[in-house]
Amino acid sequence: MDKELRIVGFLCNWCSYGGADTAGVGRFTQPTDLRIIRMPCSGRIDPLFVLKTLIGGADGVLVSGCHPRDCHYAEGNYYARRRLEVLKRFLPIIGIDQGRFEYTWVSASEGQRWQHVVTTFTNQIHALGPIQRIGKDAQARACAFGRTLEVDVSA
Amino acid sequence: MAAKYLASEKLPAWLAELAASRVVLVPVKERDAVVFRPYSEGVKPVLDRQANVPPKASIFPASESLMSFKYIKNPEDLGQVAVEVHETVDAPPTVVFGGRPCDVRGFNIFDRVYDCPKVQDPYYKARRENTLFVTLACEDAENACFCHWVGSSPSDPVGSDVLLTPIQGGYLVEDVSKRGKALLSSKLLADGSKRSTEAKAVHKAALESLGEVWNPEKAPAKLLEKFDDMGFWEDVSAKCVSCGACTYLCPTCYCFNVTDERSGMKGERIRTWDNCMSYLFTLEASGHNPRPTKAHRLKNRVGHKFSYYPDIHEGIFACCGCGRCIKLCPVSVDIREIVRLAVERPTAKPEKS
Amino acid sequence: MPLLEELKAQITRRLPELDLVIGWGQGYDPLHHTPVFIKTEADLDKLVFDPLCVHNLSTYLTRYVHGKKLGVVVKGCDSRSVVELLQEKLIKREDVVVFGLPCEGVADLGKIKRALAEQDLDIGRVRTVSFEKGSLALTVAGKNVELPMSKVLADKCGRCKYHNAVIHDEFAGQPIEGQSQDAYEDVAAFEGQTLEERMEFWREQMERCVRCYACRNACPLCVCRDYCIAQSREPGWVSQRDGLEEKLFFQMIHATHLAGRCTECGECERACPVDIPLLLLKRKLNKEILDLFDYRAGTEPDVKPPLLSFKVKEENINERGW
Repeated sequence: MDKELRIVGFLCNWCSYGGADTAGVGRFTQPTDLRIIRMPCSGRIDPLFVLKTLIGGADGVLVSGCHPRDCHYAEGNYYARRRLEVLKRFLPIIGIDQGRFEYTWVSASEGQRWQHVVTTFTNQIHALGPIQRIGKDAQARACAFGRTLEVDVSA
Repeated sequence: MAAKYLASEKLPAWLAELAASRVVLVPVKERDAVVFRPYSEGVKPVLDRQANVPPKASIFPASESLMSFKYIKNPEDLGQVAVEVHETVDAPPTVVFGGRPCDVRGFNIFDRVYDCPKVQDPYYKARRENTLFVTLACEDAENACFCHWVGSSPSDPVGSDVLLTPIQGGYLVEDVSKRGKALLSSKLLADGSKRSTEAKAVHKAALESLGEVWNPEKAPAKLLEKFDDMGFWEDVSAKCVSCGACTYLCPTCYCFNVTDERSGMKGERIRTWDNCMSYLFTLEASGHNPRPTKAHRLKNRVGHKFSYYPDIHEGIFACCGCGRCIKLCPVSVDIREIVRLAVERPTAKPEKS
Repeated sequence: MPLLEELKAQITRRLPELDLVIGWGQGYDPLHHTPVFIKTEADLDKLVFDPLCVHNLSTYLTRYVHGKKLGVVVKGCDSRSVVELLQEKLIKREDVVVFGLPCEGVADLGKIKRALAEQDLDIGRVRTVSFEKGSLALTVAGKNVELPMSKVLADKCGRCKYHNAVIHDEFAGQPIEGQSQDAYEDVAAFEGQTLEERMEFWREQMERCVRCYACRNACPLCVCRDYCIAQSREPGWVSQRDGLEEKLFFQMIHATHLAGRCTECGECERACPVDIPLLLLKRKLNKEILDLFDYRAGTEPDVKPPLLSFKVKEENINERGW
């Protein structure tokens, strides 16, 4: 596979985080591009988390929660589903491919399903390649007016 | 003062000549807005109207890095951390071309704050010293213009290095400062000494188009008198939506905020425009806010420009009359009207406590 | 009775029970109207109504303490914001008296500016303005100019479905018949571009942004105002830097917070001092929300906004089977 890309996963504590753990304990081989952030519930995921991550330079964002009807908090994922669907459809207006963001449902016992989701999504992001960033030539453009030094986070 | 003449068709060549060794900022059109952008070949300057955003950022950027810093851990003793600091003064040689007299005059208000015996701001000073202004006199006033109220005029050369006046076929080019004189050595400029009268007529017509002058000399005292008359301020600020458009587009507003943006062991200290229309401008750490409502905040804006600043700066108003705060306000709050009402309306007597 | 007289009579009748009524009056020049706050009958002389009444006055409703009785004059589009505020319980029905008007469309000052520029005239120098059957007559720099209304009508008016206030306690004038269609063609056209072109477009637009937040503050549904998350340091959603990422992200905050709530009054775009087409972002959201939930914000006072509710089985959201 090509160079590792940056993928951020927001996982619900009760299902998908457990599912990822199950996959790990079961030693299922998975791509290593994904960084996981544990959330209390998919309903806690503010679409702005996803936008901030993508605009900030992540190449892909994956949200995963409990299956509908299975939410630990009864209905968090129902609200999430509406918000995240709207968000997914919104992305192309600012020039971000819809495919860079997916949301899905994985339960704590579905280790194998988790492996499948991560592999499929990672392949999808690799097919899209690194994300284009709005600030890419910001330096050159702002040359006349007060250059701000870009702090290199990767170093 | 030498008078030269620049034919309109030679303008791009002169701009190219100026841009050879400096950044030249010219007003350009983007959608319906006119903003200052670096000149390069093919860029068409818009010289027939005032820019939406003044060239304030050329000397006082919306956001600038003051220094970058880095924490370095001592590998021998991890408890010890050293800080490395790099000052970042960035002042490329610049010419601001095509600003209006009001735009440029704004920096005279800045000078008294950032470059005075008490305070010498190295960032401001470096840019001020490296920036020249080739200013374009106005031919005709807009409805929101009122530079003549605050002691200026559509052909005011104060603060400029070179003054251009549109005349038949081109521009009369006059040097105002010593540094400006050096710019006039270009071979593209012809002798213009015979056309000064033509330019004077343009200046006169422009001033006349502004209409009657209203003298705000009583404003400093009257505004102070109205300081506690909150009824007045609530009344005049009722329509204000308390955004910051007026302050950010004002050539004389100079307030800033300083923040550290850190990421891991590195970071930078930046200075950014701030504005007194914002609730956060005066919010204190305790949660108390001495200017809790838009009435308090608008009072500060008007008071600062027409009372507090002139009180400590020899009566000079911190307003250049460019009118942007009026014409670009989403709800047309008119600072002229507020100052006028402050002077003309009787002050409410404070209620006895 | 002419519409304005009828409106004044209605306000006169209701004024005793109200703290103030918000309407439009003459601004600093003939082209600019400005909000006026009517407290006494004498103030009624200031009131005007014509296609230059561009402001959505419902933005002021949430700026007063609860319990204040307010009257507000609204066009069709503005009235939707009032409905949305009621839907979200941000204002109380008994605290507001809505003076509804029929509206055939308002002028877009940007279009007037362009139309005048075509004739080498400047919008800042307009001396007189009058409306005659279907056209706008101006005098600028000693010249008489006549512009057909169709040329200067705001885009939102060309696709208006709600010419008459959808909610009102008083209604002046005759309701206007007919509705235009809105198939979100502008959004579709924009999306005809490649993703790279779209991002480049926003790059160019955001470069101009001065972060004055006029877009936010003019918005009738941006109700957090002094407590906007964009200005919080902890968490630091947006830094103080003025890079394109910060500027775009601020618009993401504004747009997503209006998802399913925006009534497309266009105040964000109108308020922008550097002409950034911000309504496009909100229109895109509304297009998707209409498609997904068959919902238009601010049209039915008793309906719950779609992102505040859910269905166990969503009709239009496909579960992705992977």
